[in-house]
This record gives sequence, C-alpha cells and structure tokens, in this order.
Amino acid sequence: MKKDKNIDELFRDKLLNYGQEPPAFILGNVLSGAAGDRRKRKIIFWRLVSTAAAILLAFVAGWQLNYMNSKTIVLPVIVSQNSTPETKSAITAKVLAESKTAKNDLLKRQVIPEATGKPISNKTLMTASQSTIQEKKTSPETTGNVPTDEITALNPIQRLTHQFNQNDRFAEVLHKMKAGNTNSEQNEKSIDQQIMEQNQLMMLAQNEKVKKGRWLVGAQVTPEYSVSRSNHSQVYASNMINSSSANPVDLGGGLSVEFKKGKRWSLQSGVYYSGVGQSSGNSSHSNGNDLAYAGIAANNLNTNVRIDANTNKMVMNSTAGVIELKKIPSSITVGTNMEDKSLASTVIISDARFIQNFDYIEIPLYLRYTILDSRVDVEMLGGFSSNLLVGNETYVESSSGKSLVGKTNDMQTMNYSGTLGIGLKYGLSKRIFLNVEPRVKYYLNSLNNNSSVTYKPYIIGVFTGLSYQF
Amino acid sequence: MKELDQLIKDCVAGKQQAQAQLYHIFSSKMYGVCLRYAKDSTEAEDNLQEGFIKVFTNLKKFRHDGSFEGWIRRIMINVSLEKLRKQNKLYPVEDVAIYDSINFSDDVIAKISADDLMKLVQELPPRYRLVFNLYVIEGLSHQEIAKEMTITQGTSKSNLARARDILKKKVHETFGEVTAKNNYTA
Repeated sequence: MKKDKNIDELFRDKLLNYGQEPPAFILGNVLSGAAGDRRKRKIIFWRLVSTAAAILLAFVAGWQLNYMNSKTIVLPVIVSQNSTPETKSAITAKVLAESKTAKNDLLKRQVIPEATGKPISNKTLMTASQSTIQEKKTSPETTGNVPTDEITALNPIQRLTHQFNQNDRFAEVLHKMKAGNTNSEQNEKSIDQQIMEQNQLMMLAQNEKVKKGRWLVGAQVTPEYSVSRSNHSQVYASNMINSSSANPVDLGGGLSVEFKKGKRWSLQSGVYYSGVGQSSGNSSHSNGNDLAYAGIAANNLNTNVRIDANTNKMVMNSTAGVIELKKIPSSITVGTNMEDKSLASTVIISDARFIQNFDYIEIPLYLRYTILDSRVDVEMLGGFSSNLLVGNETYVESSSGKSLVGKTNDMQTMNYSGTLGIGLKYGLSKRIFLNVEPRVKYYLNSLNNNSSVTYKPYIIGVFTGLSYQF
Repeated sequence: MKELDQLIKDCVAGKQQAQAQLYHIFSSKMYGVCLRYAKDSTEAEDNLQEGFIKVFTNLKKFRHDGSFEGWIRRIMINVSLEKLRKQNKLYPVEDVAIYDSINFSDDVIAKISADDLMKLVQELPPRYRLVFNLYVIEGLSHQEIAKEMTITQGTSKSNLARARDILKKKVHETFGEVTAKNNYTA
C-alpha cells in the first residue's frame, strides 16, 4: 500500500510540469499577431483622438464664428465736461430712511449724464480691464481608467456561470436530471441536448437584449459656477461696478432623454434649468472730507449710480448690463453732490454686494460618444442648447442681509450656448445607471443686447444623476 | 531575474527578438497547460497562440510582484476557458455520482506516460475537465472554484468526483491492475 498513489497524485505528478514543444509556426503567428495588435491599438487610439478633435473643433469653430460675428464696440471719445461746480454744502443723506417722496425729489434734482467727462481714475480702468479678461481654466477630471490585470481574465467564467445560475429553466432541467441520474452515459447525452437548447435560448435572449435598451431617460442636478466674461465700452466701464471673483454657485439640473444610435453614438436632449450668477462689489473708495463730515468712515466703499433719463429710475452699470434699481433697502446709504470730484455726483456709500441672477430653461441637443465601454463607461459629449430667459433678479447684500432691489435691463430672451463634457456612467443594475458628468458651457451670443456690453459667461458644472434604460 | 526583467522591458518596447526569446523560455510549459484544457492539440495550439499574443499586448500591466510564469499560466488558462465558453461547452452540472477511489501500484504508474494521462484528461467532458484541472493540477480549493464560477461548493465537488470517476475507469481499462479502494475526502 505504501507504494500506491491515488489518482489525483498520479495526474498531478505527471502533468503539473508537463511540457511539450509546440509547432514552430506558432511563434511566427504570435509575433505577427502581437505586432498587429499594437497597430490595431494605435488605430483605435487615433480614432478616439480624431473623434475628440472633431468635437473640440466643432466647439471652437462655433465659438470663433460667433466671436467674429459679434458686434464691434465703438468707444466714444469723451469731450464734454461738467462745468457746474457744486458748493461745499452738498447733501449727504440717508435717502430711503426718509420718506419716498423726499428721495425722489432729491434724485430728480441730481440727474447726471452718462458721460460726465470726468477723468477716469487708473484704478477704475484697471478693475474694469481685470474684469473683462477674467477667465478661469478648468479641466474636468477623467476617471474610469479601469485596471485590468491577470485576475480579471477569469471573468468570462464568472459571466458565463452567472448567466446560467440565473436561468431558472436550466436549473429546472438539471433538477429533473438529478432526480433520475443513475446512468451516466444517458445523462451525458441528455445534458448535451439540454445544453444545446440552452445555448439557443441564450442566443435568443442575447439578441433580444441587443435590440432593446435604445432609450435612456434620466434626471440630473448640478452645482453651477459662472465665470464672467464681458467687454464694455470705455464710457460704460467708467461708471461700472466691479465684477467680483466670488460669483454665487447656483443649482441647475433637469430631465434628459437619450437615444442610442449604434454601440457608441447617442443623441441626447431634454429640459434643464440653468442659473447664471454674477456678483459685483463697489468700484472705488474715497478719502474725501465729505464722507467724514457726513459721519461716515472715510474708507467706506461707494458705487456710482445715475438716473436714467427715459425711465427716471436709478440705474448703475455692471459687467453683465445696466441694473435698474426699483428700491433701495434702508440699510444702504446714498450720497449726492459730493465735494470730492473723483466721485460720481451720486454714489451708494455702503459696503454692499450686488448679485444678478439669470434663470434659464435650456433645451439641449448633445452628441455623445462612448470612449470606453467598461464597468464604468467613459463618454465624451458636445453640442448646443437653446436657452430661454425665465428669471432676472438683482439683489443687494450688505451687513443687514440680502434683498431684491431690481433687475438687469436689456437681457436677451433667447440665446444659444455650446457645451463640452466628459461623462462617466456606472451601471447600478442592468437598466439603472449612475451618471457623473463634468461639463463646461459657454454662451455663443451676449446675454445682454445693450450695445455697450457684451456678456458671455462660462458655466462650469458637474451633473450628477440617474438614468433608466429601456 | 534581472535578465528576465530586461527581457520583459524589451518585449514591452516591441522588440521582436526579445519576444521570440521569451516565447522560447515558456512555450513548452504553456503548451502543456493548453493541452490539458483543450480537447486536442489543434485547439491547444490556437489557445497557445492567442495566449502569447495576449501576454505580449498586456505585458506592461505585469506588476513584477509575483511569479511571471504564474502570470502567463493564468493567461493561458483564461484563454482556454474563454474558448470553451465560446464553444458553449462549459456549464456547471449538479450531478451526484457515487464513486470509489482506486489506488495504483508503482508498476502500473510506471507504465503510464504523461502523454497517456494528457489524452485521458482531454477526453473528459469540458465541464469536468475544467474542475479537475483547477482543483487537482492548479491547486484551487472548492471554495475558490465555487467563487470563480459562482456555483456551490457541492457542485464543484460533484463535478470533480465525476471527473475522477471517469478517469479512474479509463485508467483501469487502459492499464489494468487495481490495488485498493478508498473513498476520497475532497
């Protein structure tokens, strides 16, 4: 018995390190196959690059085309000069803390033309130019580089066996076979027949699966950050409040419908809500004595305002357009007829921030291309949207809080934007997917039709949501 | 070891001379692996060829923290299994066979060559061949096989038992002498 070996050991000992010289032709096939695979990978790589380049080119071309067609802003030369000197007994008053009638009377008496001919301070020009060239570059993070190593190579077994474990009909057949399983040869045949039938069923199911799943509906939300991008005439800029680097972050989102055309391409549309936020601070400050006389700290900030001759309303220039003030909170102080001639005739003397919010309903048309079809799909998307303005509010925010004060004039009701993004899609189940999509959107035309202002912000967002395939 | 590392680097760089050298080092053993999982030498040759192409195209993913031979072997096994899947022959079967173990004397064993045993393994139905190879030759436990194939351990055990039963009979029929009977504890 000592010399005996069981069957496992017999096979293991003789086959574990078994080797046999393969036919010589295989080496040639392997080398040419490996080289061919490298070429194939290169072709796939260049196909991806060219697809990305085509989408990027369309994006840039749209932008450039729009940029070239945009209106050229004519900068008028300032020649007039304010000739009426004001006395030292100029008024400083808390206008709105008083009665409304008193405020209106005071403002009507102090109407000033837009181009006052005052010398523009270097600081004002600098801040204006800073605001016009302010851009932020962001690069959406790309993930989804799914590691594949030797272990994942066993997945085919898992997939296959998983499919079979799920198939109740096959399990039923096996149970029946188990019940009468005494003759192995008969069962062998029976099993093979069942396997063939099962294969046919699987192929049919697979074909059905391919036919299905062409539509996806989904819902996404995103935080949206606006990056101001605007141009103005020099006269307009001389009386303009600064755009702030701290634009508010809005919330956007909506419903999407996607139609899959082929394995990699799909077309997407839907309805989205999108918010554009623009924040502005005060434009300059004065150390003039008049502020001190009025009992206001000399370093308080101030903002140029004027009375629009047509509407007889208080207006102020911002980087996004002219703000029309319908009311001013009692906490905001307005001064006029200041002795300091570096200031405008009428100023807001308070440390305040003006926030302009524009709300849009967006109808997009995006083309999507699946770059990586894996556990986490990686897609590239690009396209255009029509945007309908549905909200236009301006708020003032000071130490006493935030309140609605008016709106921005001359906003376009309809405008168009381009979008570029990267989409990551993770399958939570066969039909439900989790989507994360960093996107950048730029407006093709100015949001404002005022000839002195071109306002075309960028919007950066990370759309997150779920989609359902059917 | 350094030579192998350098050889791998050269292969990753696409040098065909290095690829040929690497192929010559491992081709015999890997052909043996492919033969065990295939039904005949033609299928084994196809698998070997496909396996080595995969080795060369995925070589940059090898992390140098384990056995290189083990890595190649795994690729060959997976290619073989993938081929079985495509042929729609690989299905777990929950049949229960009552079997006895047979021990062979050294005289019998001496008469049996590795080529003979290889032929017997190749004649096994694909599903039994898979479980037998994974358990007996590769050394995977039933738990590991069950996990990989998402089957129960009982199914793995019964498939193995069936494979042993078939092999035992064939060895006995081909080479004769049986010395004892024991039950396995797999």
